[in-house]
Amino acid sequence: MSQVSTASSSAEPKRDLRKSASSRGRGKAHAPRVPSVKVTMFYVALIVAALIWLMPVITLVLTALKDAGDFAVNGAFSLPKSIRWANFSEAWQTGVGNYFWNSVIVTGIKVPIGILIEAMAAFALTHMHFKWANKVFVYVLVGLIVPMQMTLVPLTLLMNALNLIDTLTGLIILYIGFGVPFGVLVMRGYFRTLPTAIIEAARIDGCSWFRIFYRIALPLALPAVVSLCILDGVATWNEFILAQIFLRSDELRTLPLGLVQFSTQFSTQYDQLAAAVLISVAPVMLVFLLFQRYFVAGMGGAVK
Amino acid sequence: MVTTTAPPETIPAGRKRSPSPKGRNDRSRFLPWAFLAPGLVIYSVVVVYPMLYSAYLSLFRWDGVAPKKIFVGFQNYVTLLTRNEVFWVALKNNAIWLLAALLVPTSIGLGLALVLNSRFRGSHIFRSIFYFPAVLSLAVVGLIWTWIYHPDLGLANQLLDALGLKVLKRNWLSDPQIAIYPVILAATWNAVGLPMLLFLAGLQTIPPEMHEAAKVEGAGPIRRFLYVTFPLLRETTLIVLAITSINALKAYDIVYAMTNGGPANRTQLLSTWMYFLTYNYNEVGLGTAIAVVLFSLTLIFAIPYIRMMTRKV
Repeated sequence: MSQVSTASSSAEPKRDLRKSASSRGRGKAHAPRVPSVKVTMFYVALIVAALIWLMPVITLVLTALKDAGDFAVNGAFSLPKSIRWANFSEAWQTGVGNYFWNSVIVTGIKVPIGILIEAMAAFALTHMHFKWANKVFVYVLVGLIVPMQMTLVPLTLLMNALNLIDTLTGLIILYIGFGVPFGVLVMRGYFRTLPTAIIEAARIDGCSWFRIFYRIALPLALPAVVSLCILDGVATWNEFILAQIFLRSDELRTLPLGLVQFSTQFSTQYDQLAAAVLISVAPVMLVFLLFQRYFVAGMGGAVK
Repeated sequence: MVTTTAPPETIPAGRKRSPSPKGRNDRSRFLPWAFLAPGLVIYSVVVVYPMLYSAYLSLFRWDGVAPKKIFVGFQNYVTLLTRNEVFWVALKNNAIWLLAALLVPTSIGLGLALVLNSRFRGSHIFRSIFYFPAVLSLAVVGLIWTWIYHPDLGLANQLLDALGLKVLKRNWLSDPQIAIYPVILAATWNAVGLPMLLFLAGLQTIPPEMHEAAKVEGAGPIRRFLYVTFPLLRETTLIVLAITSINALKAYDIVYAMTNGGPANRTQLLSTWMYFLTYNYNEVGLGTAIAVVLFSLTLIFAIPYIRMMTRKV
């Protein structure tokens, strides 16, 4: 899985930079590295582009650190006069802490259960010599393209009948169902790369399919499981529309829903709102920075 | 497990279980279904059945509460097409959004991938930076950009002030003529990461020798891109276009967070208008009919994608 990201280091650079890199190589390894004008220009251009690109995030951070008065006078894009950490604790107490824990619960339960059932299904589709495998796969793939709106009304009726409206349990069940297509796609992509010989050998040794799945296939697919964990975790953390329709009471809201609600309620308290947004973004940012290469790997698995 | 009916050659002496991978007996024919069952059952109940039932409901007039649904055939679709002005606004917005999504984030993503594919100090950091907005929830992206468009305190107007372009200042999100464009721009910021990632992955599959060969033949960077890189990225490009268009048609949260369909319904999309009709006006028939229209539009872009995904077996 990670070959996608590791391949980059072996891939040959092919832009202007390479010329300078290769000429540097020709001029003996110990020659002092003086960056050429071209390289400097390249970096300056990239850094400027990156700063523009991150402008919304920078604005967000600056707003979260200011007090409301400073914001009202100087606007979003100026350094804070004094850093006001209280924005975070105030936002946390006004409900964001509650939303945060709801999101943690939903994500923490949904992701492991989802991955387990998705991996089982993908394993059956790839290694169990199953005549209908391709038809079942197409059936599951349809779920990737279904707009949520196409399911909302019947789901409302269903959840109502089951008394699951306005419960985190109900929301988790829906998330698991909607997660199946992408999870099966990613896991299937990886299971297909596992050599059949290992599985055949285990079969011949009398190993049951459940043991093969649990003891051989799943551990071997660990990179895919980690990728899926992260992609799915972020997607669940960010989900909005199902939460909006099926959660009614304020104390059950997950972060994205809670934040939008927060923004309509406290529409003028930009400082607290920015702090609230930052609190919701922080875990995603952390996961992204720590496990970046798995994003690439997981996405690569999804399209291979 | 071992049955007497199984052909003897598949059961070597002393084996407790059938080593046959083909599954000749009942138990192993049933086993794949046991593995599939949890996923398939919950997926069918949560996604497939509601989808079909929505299509069925779109043929009725119903407020969602009354015990009786009145069968009206395709009347809901006719009503949408002939008497629902906002439906056309939404359809037009979806078309603009789709066009923008097919052109802008894809080109930026390709450009960034080409630049960041070469190995240089910090290339990984730049990849992270440009990918970063893609991990944010669209609701959050919407909130952040709402401040940027704030008429007095927002970055957009402050920037125009600083540049001496006061004439261009707008009340971005409350001007009915233009409000959809700032929303699309915000969505674009979030939509660039995925194409970039996919193009980067695609670029790594191109063997460097191809470029060497083209270079030896005297092809410059532009010709190398047009005649070597781009043709080899054909499949990646198709996947990128399919995924971005499907995602563009799914857009919902960002509009909800930024404009809630306003001002005067000028920024409604099919997805948000479906929500309004169903949950605010209790027009379940019209709402589900919109959902069916939205799904049909998505299918146009998704069928080639699904065929591509299943072809490589």
